[in-house]
Amino acid sequence: MAILVIAEHDNASLKAATLNTVSAAAKLGGEIHVLVAGANCAAAAAEAAKVAGVAKVRVADAAHYESQTAENLAALVVANAAGYTHILAPSTAIGKNVAPRVAALLDVAQISDIVAVESADTFVRPIYAGNAMATVKSADAVKVLTVRTTAFEAAGQGGAAAVEAVAAGADLGLTSVKGRELTKSARPELGAAKIIVSGGRGLGNSENYHKLLEPLADALGAALGASRAAVDAGYVPNDYQVGQTGKIVAPQLYIAVGISGAIQHLAGMKDSKVIVAINKDPEAPIFQVADYGLVGDLFEVVPELAKAVG
Amino acid sequence: MKILVPVKRVVDYNVKVRVKADGTGVDIANVKMSMNPFDEIAVEEAVRLKEAGVASEVVAVSCGVAACQETIRAAMAIGADRGILVESDAELQPLAVAKLLKALCDKEQPTVVICGKQAIDDDSNQTGQMLAALMGWPQATFASKVQLGDGVATVTREIDGGLETVETKLPAVVTTDLRLNEPRYATLPNIMKAKKKPLDTVKPADLGVDVAPRLATLKVAEPPKRSAGVRVADVAQLVDKLKNEAKVI
Amino acid sequence: MSHYTAPIRDMQFVMRELAGLDEVAKLPGCEEVSPDLVDAILDEANKFASEVLAPLNRTGDQEGAKWDNGKVTTAPGWRDAYKQFTEAGWTAVACEPEFGGQGLPKLIATAVMEMWKAANMAFSLCPMLTNGAIEAITLSGTDEQKAAYLPKMVSGEWTGTMNLTEPQAGSDLAAVRTRAEPQGDGTYRIFGQKIFITYGEHDMTDNIVHLVLARLPDAPEGVKGISLFVVPKFLLNADGTPGARNDVHCVSIEHKLGIHASPTCVLAFGDNGGAIGTLVGEPNRGLEYMFIMMNEARFAVGMEGVALAERAYQHALAYAKDRIQGTEMGVRGGPKVSIIRHPDVRRMLMSMKSQTEAMRALAYVVAAANDAAHRSADAAVRAENQAFVDLMIPVVKGWSTENSIDVASTGVQVHGGMGFIEETGAAQHLRDARITTIYEGTTAIQANDLIGRKIAREGGVTVKALAAEMRGVLAQLAEQQGDAFVAIRKSLESGIAALESAVEYIVATYGKDIKAASVGSVPFLKLLGIVSGGWLMARAALVSARRLAEGSDDEFYKTKLVTARFYADHILSQAPGLSYAVVNGAAGALELDEAQF
Ligand SMILES: Cc1cc2nc3c(=O)[nH]c(=O)nc-3n(C[C@H](O)[C@H](O)[C@H](O)COP(=O)(O)OP(=O)(O)OC[C@H]3O[C@@H](n4cnc5c(N)ncnc54)[C@H](O)[C@@H]3O)c2cc1C
Ligand SMILES: Cc1cc2nc3c(=O)[nH]c(=O)nc-3n(C[C@H](O)[C@H](O)[C@H](O)COP(=O)(O)OP(=O)(O)OC[C@H]3O[C@@H](n4cnc5c(N)ncnc54)[C@H](O)[C@@H]3O)c2cc1C
Repeated sequence: MAILVIAEHDNASLKAATLNTVSAAAKLGGEIHVLVAGANCAAAAAEAAKVAGVAKVRVADAAHYESQTAENLAALVVANAAGYTHILAPSTAIGKNVAPRVAALLDVAQISDIVAVESADTFVRPIYAGNAMATVKSADAVKVLTVRTTAFEAAGQGGAAAVEAVAAGADLGLTSVKGRELTKSARPELGAAKIIVSGGRGLGNSENYHKLLEPLADALGAALGASRAAVDAGYVPNDYQVGQTGKIVAPQLYIAVGISGAIQHLAGMKDSKVIVAINKDPEAPIFQVADYGLVGDLFEVVPELAKAVG
Repeated sequence: MKILVPVKRVVDYNVKVRVKADGTGVDIANVKMSMNPFDEIAVEEAVRLKEAGVASEVVAVSCGVAACQETIRAAMAIGADRGILVESDAELQPLAVAKLLKALCDKEQPTVVICGKQAIDDDSNQTGQMLAALMGWPQATFASKVQLGDGVATVTREIDGGLETVETKLPAVVTTDLRLNEPRYATLPNIMKAKKKPLDTVKPADLGVDVAPRLATLKVAEPPKRSAGVRVADVAQLVDKLKNEAKVI
Repeated sequence: MSHYTAPIRDMQFVMRELAGLDEVAKLPGCEEVSPDLVDAILDEANKFASEVLAPLNRTGDQEGAKWDNGKVTTAPGWRDAYKQFTEAGWTAVACEPEFGGQGLPKLIATAVMEMWKAANMAFSLCPMLTNGAIEAITLSGTDEQKAAYLPKMVSGEWTGTMNLTEPQAGSDLAAVRTRAEPQGDGTYRIFGQKIFITYGEHDMTDNIVHLVLARLPDAPEGVKGISLFVVPKFLLNADGTPGARNDVHCVSIEHKLGIHASPTCVLAFGDNGGAIGTLVGEPNRGLEYMFIMMNEARFAVGMEGVALAERAYQHALAYAKDRIQGTEMGVRGGPKVSIIRHPDVRRMLMSMKSQTEAMRALAYVVAAANDAAHRSADAAVRAENQAFVDLMIPVVKGWSTENSIDVASTGVQVHGGMGFIEETGAAQHLRDARITTIYEGTTAIQANDLIGRKIAREGGVTVKALAAEMRGVLAQLAEQQGDAFVAIRKSLESGIAALESAVEYIVATYGKDIKAASVGSVPFLKLLGIVSGGWLMARAALVSARRLAEGSDDEFYKTKLVTARFYADHILSQAPGLSYAVVNGAAGALELDEAQF
């Protein structure tokens, strides 16, 4: 029994998502092979060979795998699927694009975004935007899975897998990538952001708000929010306001800086996955909802934090 | 050019679903149902293509219970020309739906199928890709811009960290992301007209498709609750927790 | 933030189970109406109401409409929303197909209207007044007037207004002084000042069509001397497009307690030689036409009561679930709980909810009767339904609006101190509701109409028939098992008895002592509303029990049963007290000499 992990990489290097996927694969029990399909992707393949737990790296190196379009990639996976009980890809744009195509070509179901492995055929995955967790069991001979990377540890280093070339398939010529525009500037919008850095009256004035919070937000790729007191005091415009009478947000991470945690503020952010509070008052109510509370002077803590995550 | 748009009937996005006490699923009895929002975007895109003179006909398809007719009518109210209901009371998983759609594509011969990228109930994000696989067509998923040319589609896709522009041969499957467009409000005259547009009903058996589920749901549970918070001593510990315990940065 | 979602389930229930949507669908001209069409319309209207209109409600209140040198700028977002509203065809729901309307029954239009009003009452007034003007022209206009104005008004391209009120003529329209001078070419020049004209001026459309009450030179005094004119803001060119500016100008707008975003205008006609208008219908019959149309407008204002009550309830409910205060009664050392756990907060919420549902039920039943009154092929059916509609319009108007103030006020109370703070938004509903008992005829005017024209004049025939119909439900209630039905039946029975004795008193007293009868007119109006609401809530309970017995486990039916019981115990139980006031209350009200006040 062997397991195939479709590597996420950019030819030059392996993406971290692959490591989490390898960890998920390791929970299934079986020899783990990693498929690196790319163009001039030897460096990525070499990295994959060093991942702990990987038994074999299979490399398909051809120009038409350069951008890992789903059509060519899926055909390659299917051509090499024999002998595998499981085929895994991370739940990334590439993984989500290719895995269902592979599954359909194999005439098996695909299981998306697994967060836990119960057994070789039983998995846990979120449904209804994470408001419920379903445990599903597959009756198919081959299980094609995508893996929610945040739910699994990253596999360590120290492996020494054999690297083996795989014959490239034909270029199907169905899709070609014309260009990519990778954004790295503007902050995400408050409602859609995965991370929000939010500031309150503790910041003292508008200048401090920007001087302290912007570097932290930039380092985290976060959106900026504010308490009403901060908005009222003119630190930021009112569309920054989070709370009962402002925006309701539920990011993965909400960092409340100098915010006391009034009930009206909490109403707008209490569904955030992880809440961090930075406040000098140990009795501030915000600490009652915070997963991680740091009692301290924000003027010291915030720059330090920005540096640590930058 | 004909465009086929699959539309799914799902629990309305405003409804916060509750897990049933017996853990067999979520309680959707008497809950408001609506068209999957991504599918609404797909219908809107198809109708815009028709209004721009690029497409000549927009066909909305829904697979599921009889009430999916409402979803098809909603698509017609936005501007789809006719509808096909593949009626089945069985649980239809993405592979089965893809097979049903394939059978319809074989019959209807659309140039483009525009699907929502995922349904907000099972969050699978599979059907469009599977259909493309079964048809042997290219796929342009997570589209934020679609241009149809002669035999090719130019699609801007939302990928991790940015955008990617691809050219695909037609026929193809496109799946929609949120930023592709903002669906219009159906107008009252169009809601009324939708009533009169043709809607055919077929059964999976008529299409020769076996829709038996491949996955069994053993249990549905509430997501884990927030664990009691902790105080961290300093920035270093905070960063460590965020990286390694919460895994949010 | 206050969200609004239309109570679609209750709307469907009332339409189908109480108002007889199926029967309405059988009426001539309603062939297209089917449950799924209705559902599709409700769904889409809800989307528009909750996503487009509701978010503007608060900013509209804060910013209001602005007047500058004769021009009125509507609140931010209004123009866009209005454009979307017209493009989506919502102006035309019940209008005549001949002029571009959808010709849908009033019952459907009513549910849709409730959504606009609940989402954003200040906005909803514009299409409401336009509808009134459309109605007046449709009923009494000439073919030329219809062709010139109706298509544009039905599509929403132009809006309409109703110009009745003048500084000295409010409730008493006989005092209207605005003059109309014939030009000899079929047109008239209008001179005078109208006040309180809703959407009399705004920036959302290219033209505004004013319907104006005025007197001809040779007109008799009083109500029999008032004629109706159509006076456009811009005169029409030969091709029907807006041309020269007419001599009607907005002199100022009012600063108000509520509906800040609805411009309430002072309009000056004829400052520069006369505003040109044309006569609608025959001379001196303007008030008569207005009254036909006013039924519609009064009903619509009644719907404002229903809508605001619903909105206030939704607002208060969300807060009550969220606000943590105190521990649960009877639980020692228990955790802090949401205030919805406190018995008095529950009582408040239930009183809001049950009254809102009862008002909705009555309004929709009247809407369906209105459809039958207009569309039935059978003249007897038409007449019977018209009598019921005529009887109940003042009740829908007066009772629903008076209640909406109470309900919105209770909503403030649920919020505690926060309710008194504008930011919470609860106070806006109360402020907005406050106008509804005043315009389109104050509650007193409704009540005068009710006991005079609608009851005393015909010896109470229609209202007695209604009471008899209500009695029919008692037998059905008696067949049901359980405490709830015993309570509902008892309360309904004494409510009907209270109504009957009040009717007897009014019929007997009106002719000989109109003042004594009139002291009780508003209490009587409330009495009739409360008992009618109780009757319909009882019917709702019966339907729910039947559905549950058939095997449904829909929470909706279970909730309805409890709500009906609450209504019977807490609201319907007030009927005997009101009846007592009607029958015995004259002396105390009339005895004081003016100087003694
Ligand atoms: C009707 C109504 C609606 C409302 N809606 C909202 C809403 O939508 N959103 C909202 O946010 N609020 C809302 N409020 C206001 C809310 O009640 C609070 O007043 C507000 O949230 C307080 O903002 P704050 O936490 O920034 O300020 P404060 O309560 O003043 O808290 C400032 C915090 O900063 C800390 N601090 C100060 N200096 C430092 C330092 N050097 N280092 C670290 N910490 C420091 C203090 O210990 C304190 O905890 C509403 C209020 C009402 C009445
Ligand atoms: C915001 C707003 C919008 C309006 N929009 C319009 C509009 O678009 N077009 C338009 O023409 N008018 C409009 N009006 C005017 C409205 O219809 C009148 O204000 C209303 O009819 C009451 O008249 P009044 O203000 O003169 O009050 P009055 O008639 O002076 O009434 C004062 C009090 O006396 C009572 N009363 C008066 N007569 C009697 C009676 N016979 N029996 C018992 N009680 C009596 C009333 O009930 C009231 O309590 C609007 C008013 C407002 C405030």
